[in-house]
Amino acid sequence: MSGISLQGISKRYSGSVLAVDDIDLDIESGEFVTLVGPSGCGKTTTLRTIAGFEKPTAGTVHIGGKDVTDAPPYERNTGMVFQDFALFPHLTVHENVAYGMEADGGYTDEEIDARVAEMLELVELPGTGDRKPDQLSGGQQQRIALARALAPKPDALLLDEPLASLDKKLREQMQVELRRIQQEVGITTVFVTHNQEEALTMSDRLAVMNEGKFEQVGPPGDVYNEPETRFVADFIGTANIFDGAVTQTEDGYVSVDCGDVDVESTATRETAVGDDVSVVARPERFNFQSSTADERDENVFTGEVTFRRHLGSSVEYRIETAEGREVVVVRPSGLDEHEPGEQVTVSVDADNCRVVSP
Amino acid sequence: MATETSTSDGGESGRAGLKQNAKYYILSYPLAWLVFVFLVPLGMLFMFSFWVHVPGTGYTPGFTLDNYARFFTSSLYVQQLWVTVELALVTAVVSLLLGYPLAYYLARIDRPWLRNVLLITIISSLWITYVIRAYAWQVILASRGILSSLGVATGILGSHQSFYPGYWGLVVGMVYVFLPFMVLSLYSSIRNLDGELLEASKNLGAGPVRTFRRVTLPLTKNGIASGTSLVFILALGAYVLPRLLGTPNQRTLPVLIEQQIMSESNYPFGAAMSVLLIVVMVVFLWALVRITNVSAANIGGGEAVAGEDETATTSGSGALSGLWSRLAGAVAATGLGRVYGSVASAVSNRIAVVDSDTRESVIGTTFRVYVAAVMLFIAAPLGIIVAVSFTPEEFLTFPPGGFSMRWYVEFFTNPAWVRSLVNSLTIAAAAALLSTSIGGVLAFTLDRFDYKFGALLGTFGVLPILVPPVIIAVAFLVFFLQIGLTGTRTGIIVAHGIFYAPLPFILITQGLSELNRTYEEAAMNLGASPVRTIRTITYPLLRANVVSGALFAFILSLNEYIIAWLLSLFLVKTIPIQIFNQLRYSYPPTIAAASTVFILLTVVVMTAIDRLSGGIWE
Repeated sequence: MSGISLQGISKRYSGSVLAVDDIDLDIESGEFVTLVGPSGCGKTTTLRTIAGFEKPTAGTVHIGGKDVTDAPPYERNTGMVFQDFALFPHLTVHENVAYGMEADGGYTDEEIDARVAEMLELVELPGTGDRKPDQLSGGQQQRIALARALAPKPDALLLDEPLASLDKKLREQMQVELRRIQQEVGITTVFVTHNQEEALTMSDRLAVMNEGKFEQVGPPGDVYNEPETRFVADFIGTANIFDGAVTQTEDGYVSVDCGDVDVESTATRETAVGDDVSVVARPERFNFQSSTADERDENVFTGEVTFRRHLGSSVEYRIETAEGREVVVVRPSGLDEHEPGEQVTVSVDADNCRVVSP
Repeated sequence: MATETSTSDGGESGRAGLKQNAKYYILSYPLAWLVFVFLVPLGMLFMFSFWVHVPGTGYTPGFTLDNYARFFTSSLYVQQLWVTVELALVTAVVSLLLGYPLAYYLARIDRPWLRNVLLITIISSLWITYVIRAYAWQVILASRGILSSLGVATGILGSHQSFYPGYWGLVVGMVYVFLPFMVLSLYSSIRNLDGELLEASKNLGAGPVRTFRRVTLPLTKNGIASGTSLVFILALGAYVLPRLLGTPNQRTLPVLIEQQIMSESNYPFGAAMSVLLIVVMVVFLWALVRITNVSAANIGGGEAVAGEDETATTSGSGALSGLWSRLAGAVAATGLGRVYGSVASAVSNRIAVVDSDTRESVIGTTFRVYVAAVMLFIAAPLGIIVAVSFTPEEFLTFPPGGFSMRWYVEFFTNPAWVRSLVNSLTIAAAAALLSTSIGGVLAFTLDRFDYKFGALLGTFGVLPILVPPVIIAVAFLVFFLQIGLTGTRTGIIVAHGIFYAPLPFILITQGLSELNRTYEEAAMNLGASPVRTIRTITYPLLRANVVSGALFAFILSLNEYIIAWLLSLFLVKTIPIQIFNQLRYSYPPTIAAASTVFILLTVVVMTAIDRLSGGIWE
């Protein structure tokens, strides 16, 4: 097995838009890394650069320590699963899965048959070899696409939004399945998605992309709990974001004037008075308060519950303050129930807030 | 460290990427054919029109305007020019009046099997050579022919009389031949019409006539325009019909051109008239476009939909459909469609006195009878040919006086017919291969590579089929005279190969544009080289389009008359030529047997195309 290394990759399309802007990424052997971001952020271009479908304008691509920057797609030994699966419609499942090994030329017919059977076993669809792709359900096509990509023993598995065309239930099932197979095979994997939930649940590390750059790269827990930029906080999960200017820094705490409210936060980054920053507080870090006890390190908001919805294990409230700011609070189900229209006070500890770049 | 790599090939590396300069090598193949064997002959045609005719010996190079002067100073020629244009217009208008109700019926019918049967009938007749179809009308219109016999039998006619040659006999034949083009253009346009719009109109209180005039007609005017202009252009270039069904008074420009070439051997004058025919065509199209632009402002509402639909004949080529939609608007503006509105409202006024239920059923019944009559008009003639081919008698009678295969035996044992059949099949097969290689390679290169003049090259790819066949014929004749290919099968193969290359080009272009590129990327990701990818993925996915294109070229070449005839210089005989020649002297029922064999052959090939494409007509 082998890792992937991207160094200084940039991609400019026909002289105009910079789709990927000087990114570096080292993916370890066997690691599952997700590129996540909104559409147009450059994640697919990055994946296609690894696969060799796009030539980078600048930078190098190494797969397994070998420089493949100038190698065509068919000499890279990557296995890709496409968004619409791209199972060859005129070939049977067996012929699809065998395609890569036949193109390779280094396998005997017996080896190919054995490997196809092994792959169909791996994706739990044994005995489907004689079928045509259009005789399979969406989920089955997905599995066959995976089997086809893995059959020629690629150095890396590349997944381009492979779950996007499945319905919600199947998608969640396939998330687990995909991860299981990936770990079983132990293959280096790059996964592209715009779905932040998918990114959080599946990856060893995720790289949040925006406008051709990495905003943050790290394990799911770190990215969620310790976002470094306003974009990451906003894109991954739900966040209350307070934009303002630093008025005071002291003892590892920062005060930020957000216009309608002053917010206290732990100083999670170096700031000076006057800097524009954003303060992030996750909804589940808030508490309801019975009185308006005003402690120094607590941010307190009073307002009316405008909206409430049950999420199963938790309840989400939207609270509008007198100044018109909306605060989202998520509380465990059954702890403290508040009705829409009710006046409430919520607070979040300064230690549960983070200062991020705006 | 960061390495600078080439950026000029931006979007291409993901395609079945071949090397940069390969794109010029590959393009050179179709381009060489189209330039040296299509543009050069057309250029030579133009040049020839200024050369000097030497009676007896032929022609000498030079520069004279005598050929053009001769045309314009002769009231005969100018008058025949007008006859040509008038005939084309009358054909177009009559086709529209007959075709619209039929197309409407086909588009709205809720029994799919009946629609398929009717569509296949209409489409099948489309491909059968004009020679056989003109012959069918001779059989019907001749003295003691079917019409005459019916007239006498029912007492309408006092004695037998012939309805051809003559103006109206010719119009009937022309409409018969070109009506399918009209119906198909209108059909696709009416099919695109959202049925809910009609329901909405009725819900708002509009009766069927008002709904038709205010909703259906305005929304289908593109189909009306494209169908009308298509029929007009085809009729303008028609040779066989005026020659076989018209009197000398109805000698159209194509007929006069053929006479100059084959009877008078006056190539320069024939060339000059060919150039004039092109000019007339271009001027007419230009005028139509101008008229649209002027009146487009007045039309106002409904224009938004105008650009949206595409006719069946144009799908696959941006350039062509652009041309088409402009033509479409043009003809719509000439007000041909309005004839319908006024006829419909006249009928409506007449029966407004009765209640709406009766009115709807009267309209419904009239409509159905009309559609059935038009359908009979399209289907019957070829049926009659098939029927009379089994006559045991020495001459054609209808109904045939018995059943016999003797004329089929005659057809398959007579060396002249057999030689013609072999010639026809050989030429068509070779021409189909040539067409497909030119059209296919051009389609592939234009799809895969970016060229500076890509759009222009695409237009170039469909251009040959837009030139009237008689002009192609004369252009290739003057060209082949120089290189010694006249009177050979090779010459006809080359001419047909170029002329029909647009069909595979359009079909393969369409296939490539519908081909999901991800399949090729998936193949390359799995380690397949570009050549392997094309062999194992691209070609298999395109095969139906490639084979259909080849079969179309085959069937058209098989049925083509005028190009083969002019290039044969009496030395090569194909089945259409053989039938045509026989029609000049006598009417042995062998012609009917030969025609039936040809009709059968055509139907078989068309069915194969339909199977291959899984219903290309929808």
